Amino acid sequence: MEKRTRWWHGILARSLMAVVGIALLMGGMSSLLVSRMVGEQVHDQAVIKLGELLDTVENTASIACFVADEQLARELVQGLLRNSEVLRVSLRTGEHELAHAERKVGKVGPGRTALRTLLTPSVHRVLHSPFNADEVIGEIRIDADWAVIDARMDSYSRFIGLLFAGLLALVIAAAAAMMLFLVIRPVKAASDRLHRLDPASGERLVVPEGHERTEIGRLVEDINALSGRLVETLDQERALRRQKEIDQRKYQDLFDNAGSGIFVADRDGLLESFNRALVELIWLPHREEGTRRLTDTGWQAPEQLLALLRASLDAGGDGQLEDDFLLLGRRGDERWLHVAVVPLGDGSVQGTVTDVTQRKREELSARRLAVTDSLTGFANRVGLHRSLADLDPADAPFALVMLDLDGFKQINDAFGFPVGDRLLLAVAARLRGMLGDMDQPARIGGDEFALVLAGEHDREMTGARVERIAEQLALPYEMQVADAQSSLVVSASLGVALFPRDGVDVQQLLRAAELALNSARQAGGRSYRFFDPALQAAVEHRRRLEDDLRAAVASRELKLAFQPIVDLRERRLAGAEVLLRWLHPQRGHVSPEVFIPLAEEIGLIGAIGLAVLDEACRQVALWRGAGLDIYVSVNVSVRQIPDDLPPVVVMDILRRYKLPPEAIAIEITEGVLMSNVGVAQAWIESLRAAGLRIYLDDFGTGYSSLSYLKRFPLDTVKIDKSFIRDLHVNSSDRTLVEAIITMAASLGLNVVAEGVEDAQQLALLDEMGCGFGQGYHFSRPVAATDFLETVQRIDTELLQAGKRP
Amino acid sequence: MRRLFITVCFWSLAALPMPVLADLVVVANPQSGIAHLSLDDVVNIYLGRYRRLPSGATAEPIDISDNEMRARFYRGLVRKSLPEINAYWARLVFAGKTRPPLVVESPEAALRRVVAEPGSIAYLERSQAGRQAKIVFELND
Repeated sequence: MEKRTRWWHGILARSLMAVVGIALLMGGMSSLLVSRMVGEQVHDQAVIKLGELLDTVENTASIACFVADEQLARELVQGLLRNSEVLRVSLRTGEHELAHAERKVGKVGPGRTALRTLLTPSVHRVLHSPFNADEVIGEIRIDADWAVIDARMDSYSRFIGLLFAGLLALVIAAAAAMMLFLVIRPVKAASDRLHRLDPASGERLVVPEGHERTEIGRLVEDINALSGRLVETLDQERALRRQKEIDQRKYQDLFDNAGSGIFVADRDGLLESFNRALVELIWLPHREEGTRRLTDTGWQAPEQLLALLRASLDAGGDGQLEDDFLLLGRRGDERWLHVAVVPLGDGSVQGTVTDVTQRKREELSARRLAVTDSLTGFANRVGLHRSLADLDPADAPFALVMLDLDGFKQINDAFGFPVGDRLLLAVAARLRGMLGDMDQPARIGGDEFALVLAGEHDREMTGARVERIAEQLALPYEMQVADAQSSLVVSASLGVALFPRDGVDVQQLLRAAELALNSARQAGGRSYRFFDPALQAAVEHRRRLEDDLRAAVASRELKLAFQPIVDLRERRLAGAEVLLRWLHPQRGHVSPEVFIPLAEEIGLIGAIGLAVLDEACRQVALWRGAGLDIYVSVNVSVRQIPDDLPPVVVMDILRRYKLPPEAIAIEITEGVLMSNVGVAQAWIESLRAAGLRIYLDDFGTGYSSLSYLKRFPLDTVKIDKSFIRDLHVNSSDRTLVEAIITMAASLGLNVVAEGVEDAQQLALLDEMGCGFGQGYHFSRPVAATDFLETVQRIDTELLQAGKRP
Repeated sequence: MRRLFITVCFWSLAALPMPVLADLVVVANPQSGIAHLSLDDVVNIYLGRYRRLPSGATAEPIDISDNEMRARFYRGLVRKSLPEINAYWARLVFAGKTRPPLVVESPEAALRRVVAEPGSIAYLERSQAGRQAKIVFELND
């Protein structure tokens, strides 16, 4: 926008006007001053001149006055008037005018006349008598002629005026020229160039010649620098804008085509902008542009959505917040939407909306799954815990029944888990059929169920109901098994705990029911038991025993006892079985039948077994060193095989005590052979190969499979003492023992009869040809310290009894 | 003798100017009716200011050409030298109309004129006044 420029806007015109103005003002004032001075000077000169004139005529004038000689007076005044500057002369004696003369003058302006009359320089002098200086005799007066003085002053003034005018013209011309050449032309040139200049193409102003160091030069350089900076800034700005446009386009596309709903809204949910996806996602109704609100649709909790927006705004900064909201459609459909908002910093929030219905449903089902047994649809253990959480003793009574299917494992193993699962489903169906609406079934383990029977508080009635359940479950299950219709039978053991009597929280109740169940299971299954505090006590007792056992192992409270094994044919001591004795400081003697299973159960058996083997070896090494040619047999539990007692370790111990392998016999039970045939066989064979003897303990009590005897490289079988005890009164036992002995002999195995208590039994065994015996008849198990004494006693007794025929 | 000489000298010195410094008087005709004139009257009449006696009669001043006496008179009258008086009269005579006093050759002539003309006045040595003229003013130095 170019402003219209008039000539008077230019610097030249302005400066000239200023110069002229100031010059005129100064000139005028100076002229006035000079004129005034000239005027005064002229005036003073006139006065002086007139005074001088008077001086010359004063004497004569006084004479004329003295004698009042008019003629002389006339002569005098005429003479004075001849002077060009004198206008008027008057000579008076007192009141009488002696002579008067006046020049004829041209017309003068009235103002001037008045002024002149007022200002007219005039000289008058009092005349004294020529003979008496004290006597005044008249006066003479001369008025100056202003025309003459004016003319002189005018000429002065004209001169001064001309001088000033000339000076002024010169100053103006000089100032104009200077301005024009020094300022205006360079500036105009720069300005004209600036108008056409394209700084973006690198054009720059040129410093006018001769102005390299002037203010104009600096201005031009400053302009160039500024233009450089502006161009630079402009370039940056342009690049930025271009980038922004690209980004904008990119983001606009993203925004428009995003699958998620995107919106910008204020703290009241008023939508500033949003994309198509949002409209579809939240079923935003059509309204006038700019009036639509985020809350215009069927949110289940619109106030929570607004609270989220506000919380984000109030948090400020990086106040990203998110939550899931349920949207209810008009047709009863519903949608879970995840809304994430972040404040934009201008009082609005930007939000994204994504459909999380699927995820939400999966979460719900997962949550359900977490508490539900997938097979039966019953609650699982977690579900049971949850439903029994927060119990209060004042709540309605109920019975918690825990039930365990006896024989399920065998069926599952025999027919595979699909059959097992179907069986479980059938059990669940029966259970469901027997439960009321308030009752609640749960499957808390593979074949373990729990039932919450509402309202049950009476032992008798509850017992009747639980018994019915047990009876129902024990009925055969008809199902297709391996292409054939089969009838499967499982029974159930049930443990019952009553709330609140047996426990006031879920843990206590479950524990009580489990104890009752264990009790029922131990009773042989197919029965139910109520929780009995004695059960709890037994459990407590066992737990304490556990602790004591651990302590006993640690403090070597377990001692070895040796029960001699006698060679019946040679009538001499052959060896000894190592037994464990535990003398509890409070309980007294604890039976191995109690603490060995316990040690097996709690994982102590490995350590105990190793210690026993070590101690036994040490002992037998001592005895053998003392010349006693015996061996010791050590019991090895099924739990020790193979990892708790690897053959390598056994051999190490033997080497340590420099024992030959035949000094140690390992006693195993049938359980070892049954547990894991492959592993057990390898273990036994490696020990056997090393030269150790393997005894099979308790023969006759279990399956006593003959195939074991054949399959495993055994040395000796030990006939269980229950057969020996009634040997002389029970013919079947006698037959059995005789058969075992015969069979063993035919297989090349030695036989040890355990529990030989009297001579009668010994005689019978001798008769049957039993090789070895062990029992009270020979000796009780004795401590190591008493062993040598016992050996001597036995030898003596056996010798007295004499050798077998 | 010596005393006599000093005395003679003194007297000589004293007596020598005596005749010069003898008093001058202004006399008028006894018939003029004038008894006495003031100094101003004498000045005005002799220097041309006006020519009228206090009695109203026209006054006719008479000057004596004896320069010594005349000089004495004007000196005594207005403290002017004779050339000054002459210059004064020269201006009036050349440019104006006032005439100077009538000049006579001697005091005797002056006295005769006074006796003859009733309005005349003249200055004389006192000794020369006689009885015919009346002394109206005494010029004291």
